[in-house]
Amino acid sequence: MNREVLRVEGLSKVYPQPNRKSILAVDNIGFLIERGEIVGLLGPNGAGKTTTIKCICGLITPSSGSIFIDGIDMIHTPKFGMSKISAVLEGNRNIYWRLTPRENLAFFAGLQGISYRDAKSYIDELIELFNLTQKATTQARYLSRGMQQKLAVACALAKQTEILLLDEPTLGLDVEASHELRGLIKEMVRDNNRTVLLSSHDMQVVKDICDRVIIINNGKIVTDERVDRLSKLFETSSYRFELDSRLTQKEESEIKSNFDLANIIKMPDHTVIDIQLRSHQRLYELIDILRKNGSKVDSITHREPDFEEIFLKIVKGK
Amino acid sequence: MKSNIALFVTLFKRDWLEMVRYPFNMLSSIITLYFLFLLIFLGYRAVGGQGVNFGNTVDGITVGFMLWTFSIAAYSLLAWSLMNEAKMGTLEQLYMTSLGFDRLCVYRIICDFFLNLLFVVPILVLMMATTGRRLHIDILSLIPLFIFTLASVYGIGFISGGLGLVFKQIQSFFQILQFVFVGFIVAPVDKLPGLKLLPLSLGAKLIGKVMIYRLPITKLPPMDLLGLVLNGLFYLGIGFLIFKICERIAKQKGLLGHY
Repeated sequence: MNREVLRVEGLSKVYPQPNRKSILAVDNIGFLIERGEIVGLLGPNGAGKTTTIKCICGLITPSSGSIFIDGIDMIHTPKFGMSKISAVLEGNRNIYWRLTPRENLAFFAGLQGISYRDAKSYIDELIELFNLTQKATTQARYLSRGMQQKLAVACALAKQTEILLLDEPTLGLDVEASHELRGLIKEMVRDNNRTVLLSSHDMQVVKDICDRVIIINNGKIVTDERVDRLSKLFETSSYRFELDSRLTQKEESEIKSNFDLANIIKMPDHTVIDIQLRSHQRLYELIDILRKNGSKVDSITHREPDFEEIFLKIVKGK
Repeated sequence: MKSNIALFVTLFKRDWLEMVRYPFNMLSSIITLYFLFLLIFLGYRAVGGQGVNFGNTVDGITVGFMLWTFSIAAYSLLAWSLMNEAKMGTLEQLYMTSLGFDRLCVYRIICDFFLNLLFVVPILVLMMATTGRRLHIDILSLIPLFIFTLASVYGIGFISGGLGLVFKQIQSFFQILQFVFVGFIVAPVDKLPGLKLLPLSLGAKLIGKVMIYRLPITKLPPMDLLGLVLNGLFYLGIGFLIFKICERIAKQKGLLGHY
């Protein structure tokens, strides 16, 4: 079986604006996703994440490029590709509020041509997995937002497709509901061998769920890396120095002129220097500056940057 | 085939459940339309008296009103419900059916036709009870006539739905168009045969002949029947074509999920 399940090549989307400059929402992006992968599409608001996902879903016509789902050309024959994908695009707005969770699940299965009789046992499983048993016969409008969003994800699963596209699935959820939904997504991928492309502007969500992250900014891919490798890449070059005194003016200007990524935090009786080094050799250059000026180093810590920091650095091109 | 039946049953069930879960909406529509009919009927009786043609004219008003009711219900499916689905955030999900959105629309029209009967029949019964006149209900003659008469309305519904996908806030246009249907229904096609080209007009005349003059479909002029079929298919075809063009524009502009 071919491992590649989704291929995006040279995808661009331009929105022409009357009497104004056109908006380039997606700019020549390309990536491959293999079966069973959970890939995060991370980027700030307006980066082009939703446009990319909707192009894959055949809901927005790209200006150029190609999209293949399991070898099916989604630009020219989107109908055939629809049997392979399902999506949650609008969070809790993706479901019918006057229908119960069970009715919603049956409806979404039916959209794929799966009869209720054939879908029933899987619907029962989903209701149980998503902890909706108690509310299975309550109209969706009476559920909490977290439950509605869980139901939206369950409805996408009810279509029994191989690929699941989730656009900001945890948006607007409180910490507990978001955590629960993340757990469910991981569980259903593991147990059902699904492939997931998930967009988010929330770094924690991507870090928690995804194997790989594609960072997108201003419509362009700026990084495509495994989540664990991305953290390591930055981890190795991030240090914190703690000095037992305040820096002199001379030291400070020397550090700033030699290390443009240095962040100096001045405390009343000591100083903290956070520094990003592209090469380990440069660590000694900083120590030399401090030694030359007689500053006493209390500690040097190898800092583990958080995912948010990494994301901001990549997006800002640092 | 199995998957098509599953899709049809799914859509029918959803439309049915939504209808019974908005009981006030359905009841208030029936009551409002009935009162509107009552006003027309009482107004006509006050002004026109009970002359020689009273019976037939009242029957004509009843049939015309029923057809108008059926027409606005049919028109609403494509014009209003597409907008509502976009508003609810479910339209894009419907577009993602593996059986194709076009097929889904056809199935919804069929479901809607039958569900609308539940809405139109009580109004017809109320109208007949009020006027004291009994119309001829020849199901075998009426069903094909209604199908091809309403085909033109579905065509206009497709055009409106398509325009709604692209231009969004055009509810006033939708509302005005509903009243234009009255003009189509009462168009004097006997005096001005060219008016048969309008949507609804020829169908209204033929339905009237079955329900008021008790003619079976086999006794209706064959050219009129052929004209009705072509008229229905023409408006449906043009409507669907315009809808597809609007859909393409909406997809290019990324407007499907907007409202």
